[in-house]
Amino acid sequence: MASAADVIVVGGGVIGSAIAYYLSQEGTKVALVERGDVASGTSSACDGNILVIDKMPGYDSQLALKSQELLAELVESLDYDLEYAQRGSVLVVEDEKQAQVARDWFTRQKDAGLPMRYLEGKEVFEDEPLLAHDMVGLVECASDASLNPMAFVYGLISGARRAGAMIHPFTEVTGFLQDSTGVVRGVETTHGTISADKVVLAAGVWTPGLAATVGVNVPIKPRKGHILVAERSPHPARRKVQEFGYLLAKFGGTEGRSVEPDMDRYGVAMVFEPTEHGNFLIGSSREFVGFDQRCNHHVLELMARRALRFFPTIRDIRVIRTYAGLRPYTPDHLPIVSPVPTVPGLYIAAGHEGDGIGLAPITGRLIAQMIVGEPTAVATEPLRIDRFVNKEHKGE
Amino acid sequence: MMDDDTIVCRCEEVTVGQIRQAIREGAADVTGVKRRTRAGMGLCQGRTCEKIVMRILAQELGKPLSEFAPATVRPPVQPITFGLLAEGTDG
Ligand SMILES: Cc1cc2nc3c(=O)[nH]c(=O)nc-3n(C[C@H](O)[C@H](O)[C@H](O)COP(=O)(O)OP(=O)(O)OC[C@H]3O[C@@H](n4cnc5c(N)ncnc54)[C@H](O)[C@@H]3O)c2cc1C
Repeated sequence: MASAADVIVVGGGVIGSAIAYYLSQEGTKVALVERGDVASGTSSACDGNILVIDKMPGYDSQLALKSQELLAELVESLDYDLEYAQRGSVLVVEDEKQAQVARDWFTRQKDAGLPMRYLEGKEVFEDEPLLAHDMVGLVECASDASLNPMAFVYGLISGARRAGAMIHPFTEVTGFLQDSTGVVRGVETTHGTISADKVVLAAGVWTPGLAATVGVNVPIKPRKGHILVAERSPHPARRKVQEFGYLLAKFGGTEGRSVEPDMDRYGVAMVFEPTEHGNFLIGSSREFVGFDQRCNHHVLELMARRALRFFPTIRDIRVIRTYAGLRPYTPDHLPIVSPVPTVPGLYIAAGHEGDGIGLAPITGRLIAQMIVGEPTAVATEPLRIDRFVNKEHKGE
Repeated sequence: MMDDDTIVCRCEEVTVGQIRQAIREGAADVTGVKRRTRAGMGLCQGRTCEKIVMRILAQELGKPLSEFAPATVRPPVQPITFGLLAEGTDG
């Protein structure tokens, strides 16, 4: 079956869905092609935190803040229950040594205009009474929120569909169509060809394989993470709590934590997220083990041990399910949201590591603006794919 | 025909009607229904409702029951407390 569209979006995760949504709101005729069901890749094996608190102060955090604003609009405009709650989030500080780094982090974010507070001493336990009693500080970001990531995808997809987008689930893209000068003309799929002058590649950790078929090198690697799901139970905290050491695990520092060596080896850092259904989720881990998505029992044990370090009262609460997902990691911790200079008409929107749910609104908006030819909501220079090419030339 | 108000998943209180709605929205297998409705996400992890979900899928999509398989098992096979998991008792 051959068909045509203005823009083809490859991938029905949160990023592809947001792009399809924003583009279709502009009146663009969109075809979204997804190999499985929508929300069946990383966007179905993750948490749903919409955070500014864990971003690098500067461009990274401003991008996340802008995305939070767009999300608040989506919550109103999408006709779908996203299970959205804006309760803020906190980073918990374990000892005085960490507190020095944490205060500096807090000051830089606050000076950049983010809605942050620093609590210490007694204030910590007035705020979150069930935290282990030797905790020394809390950094709070009031604008942080959470939602159900799969509901978010379904909501974006149904919004896009209502605005005229064609959604093709269970259809795999097997190659790109190009004219004799290399300009993109569409895609080849397991159900026939679709022609379009623009194609957006939003295939998460699977982006490099597809991009390689048109000679484009995309430095995205799968970075595996595990989650423990707790039964419905009283929550040990009233909002999202992460250990400050999570930032070290994410950005690759090692200073500031005294933990058993395997905690660092598997990038284990405590992340607690309450859900709207009365369950709670415990993360996190970070490792490069290719595309293996099976749960590693040893890592699950480490995560449970780490969670008890911060929340001793959850000892008798049961874990009912565990899963692992693959974060699309890039070497500089920023996603790629960019036209591909060597293949006119091709765009890439991938590499959001542990932030894709939160950054989906701004990513969708930016790609739509690039394609329609409007000025972009934020500068997109730091998100361009050529930044990696330039690095190689400098021999880094 | 089952009534739309009948509860299928007792842990998460999901009805036949909600499952039919999820299938209309694009759910094509047990996992797709689970992700859209939470059927099978409770304490029993689908042990009681999975068969019924498969039957509704077969009915709504007009396919034989044999085309549907249970969702992939997510360990632990039995719920385990954080305390026991942390001690490595299960491994
Ligand atoms: C454990 C864990 C916790 C996380 N927690 C959070 C969090 O709290 N907050 C947050 O913001 N982010 C979080 N993330 C990160 C977030 O989940 C990802 O950044 C995001 O889901 C990536 O979305 P995506 O659309 O790029 O990828 P995906 O959801 O993987 O979508 C890509 C899609 O492309 C499809 N595809 C691949 N190849 C083809 C092809 N050839 N043809 C057609 N389709 C194809 C795939 O089937 C897939 O559905 C977490 C991730 C993990 C693993």
